[in-house]
Amino acid sequence: MLEIQNLSKVYPDGTQALKNVSFTVEDGEFLVIIGLSGSGKSTLLRCINRLVDPTEGQILFDGKDVTAAEGTELRLIRRKIGMIFQHFNLVDRSNVLTNVLSGKLGYTNPWSSLMHRFPSESKEEALRALRKVGIEDQKNKRADELSGGQRQRVGIARALMQNPSMVLADEPVASLDPVLAHTILGYIEQLNQENHISVLCSLHYLDLVQRYATKVIGLKDGEIVYRGTREDIQSMTDEQFKEIYGEEAERVSAGTLSGGIH
Amino acid sequence: MSQIIMKQKKKSPVNALTAIILSAILPGAGQIAALRIRRGLLLLGSVLSIGGLLLWRIQVLGRLAEGFWPTLFKALDKAGFFVGFGLLAFTFLWIWIAVDAGRQTNPKKQYGNSIFFLILLVFFTIGWQISEISILKLTSDANEAWVPLSKILWPWESAVTRDTDTLQGSADIMVDSEGEPPAMPVKEEGLPYIRSEPNFGRLSSLDEDNEIIPGTRITLYGENFAPNTRTQIWWSDSIGNEFRPRFKGEYVSTVTDADGSFELEMIMPYRLIPPSARGIQIHQVMARQVSEIGPLKPSEPLILTIELIIETIFMGMMATLFGILFSVPISFLAARNLMSSSPITMAIYYITRTILNIVRAIEPLIWALIAVVWVGLGPFAGIVALTIHSIAALGKLYSEAIEGINPGPIEAIQATGANKLQTIMFAVVPQMIPPFVSFTIYRWDINVRMSTVIGMVGGGGIGFLLVQYIRLLEYRSAGIAVWFIAITVSILDYVSAEIRQRFV
Repeated sequence: MLEIQNLSKVYPDGTQALKNVSFTVEDGEFLVIIGLSGSGKSTLLRCINRLVDPTEGQILFDGKDVTAAEGTELRLIRRKIGMIFQHFNLVDRSNVLTNVLSGKLGYTNPWSSLMHRFPSESKEEALRALRKVGIEDQKNKRADELSGGQRQRVGIARALMQNPSMVLADEPVASLDPVLAHTILGYIEQLNQENHISVLCSLHYLDLVQRYATKVIGLKDGEIVYRGTREDIQSMTDEQFKEIYGEEAERVSAGTLSGGIH
Repeated sequence: MSQIIMKQKKKSPVNALTAIILSAILPGAGQIAALRIRRGLLLLGSVLSIGGLLLWRIQVLGRLAEGFWPTLFKALDKAGFFVGFGLLAFTFLWIWIAVDAGRQTNPKKQYGNSIFFLILLVFFTIGWQISEISILKLTSDANEAWVPLSKILWPWESAVTRDTDTLQGSADIMVDSEGEPPAMPVKEEGLPYIRSEPNFGRLSSLDEDNEIIPGTRITLYGENFAPNTRTQIWWSDSIGNEFRPRFKGEYVSTVTDADGSFELEMIMPYRLIPPSARGIQIHQVMARQVSEIGPLKPSEPLILTIELIIETIFMGMMATLFGILFSVPISFLAARNLMSSSPITMAIYYITRTILNIVRAIEPLIWALIAVVWVGLGPFAGIVALTIHSIAALGKLYSEAIEGINPGPIEAIQATGANKLQTIMFAVVPQMIPPFVSFTIYRWDINVRMSTVIGMVGGGGIGFLLVQYIRLLEYRSAGIAVWFIAITVSILDYVSAEIRQRFV
């Protein structure tokens, strides 16, 4: 279970990215965060595994205080939280298998991992993870030889290697076309339902939100402006969605939005 | 968009005639008055610099003439086309600028740029004259260049040699002095023997007009030489300096008959006798038969060249190695993304960058001059010079590679719970390898190429040998060195391109 209490983040340049954000994620939930770019979604996700240090507030992950954790303790927390990125963040020049295995770094003896040596169980696990996302045959290719969809599957396999109890997904399908978006979110949903991994995912197409989310929060200028259950989202209208996104959003992304709404 | 509109709306505060008059007095002033300030300043600057340069060149051409007109006429006499064209173009430019000033008051006609083509043309004409470009020289003495060039292009005759055996006989001759002529050489059985008749006389000399006054005609008789063999005549002056006398430009030589004897007439050669020379001057005339014996073997220039080309390649390698060792830590200090966290580190960043830029701006050849003073002549000085330059060049390239790193994979690896070292090994190092390998190979390539010339200032390597051969006019030996440099550099080019392609 993840509990976030009064979380705020002010960047050194004075930008207030998060204001007093509080919410909880129960085990097994698929929580979707919606909001304009710049609304604080990425900062919020990165605060949870401390890629970004929050200014104020508390994050409790399975009862452990993430905000106070340092060093080894922080790394032990991080390895239970998988992360999937909009731009995949693979190491382009390493092959697919190495990229997946790097998900296991938190569990591996640091010295042997520096020599790129992993236990054989880890390698088998990596192959299983790749099979699960359907790209086992690509294991020896360099990451930059893959297509966008394949790369995100590697990202999922990497997160899977951590045996996470929670996965953070920062706009996981924003760089992909709509068909691939369903495939990728399908894999994430599979993790959520079969492995009982809770998911925190930021998205910005309403139909995707309606299809996958069990709970939604809306962020605007770093504040939570909307909380909804699965039922609330199903009945959500175009107008309500636009309200969260703000009036500017209407003009900029009207085409994309209407495409997603019908 | 808005800029263009504003420019078109800008209205000139002066009318065309005022602008023309202003620019006729001071080029560019009319344009400035018409609020085309940058154009006016540019034209004014061009006219001033063209005028200054023309005056300077006319002064240089008309040097030693007194007064303005004599100087100008002398300059016109020496370089009529240049001076005439320059002055005409200058006048034309002045008028054109005045006309242009009038046009600039009319917003619809503001964008004529052909005037700048004329300015460029004048600048290039002046440049042609300043740098003393002469098409004539390229062709007039081309045949002089052909002899050394042909030897450099095909030097392989001197790449191999054979051991030689010399048969020599000599006879004393008294020159330009009064006294008892020297004794005739003693004939010994089986040994080469020559005598000269007479064995005294006058050397050839020069009169006031540098015309040759022929010396005494002597006859040489030789015996006991190898039969039917070319025999060279050598002369040795009173202090033992040997040289080969020439007749009509050809070395004096003869061929022995079937008995190994010869008889040869020659004129005593020209040799400057120092006025301080006192007493009887005894010179020697020698007959030499040089025969090649034994198998072909690599010549000394070839062996030296191979030794030094190896030295050169290793100099480049060592300099690259030391360059890497020092530039890697320095590159971290010169990477903006790593150093931007506090004002102190930013200061270090700027200082490091500045030092790197200064060191890089100084050519390795100049560093070699300093290094020779520092560690003495030889390859080590070259290595020091190349290392210094490599540190600066690689430091900059590596730091740019660090700056260009994608932070995404770093946060992804951190998010898995990896520690710092693991993050560096898995997210940073793989990204650094391609630029690192590429820049290093590129530098190695440069260092080997540089070490081929760094010897010219005493920094070791093949350059030293090459310069020596050229100064001694041994063009064939120089050609061997040039060939080896060319072969090495092309192989290196190919190899480095291959390696870079593999890694990047």
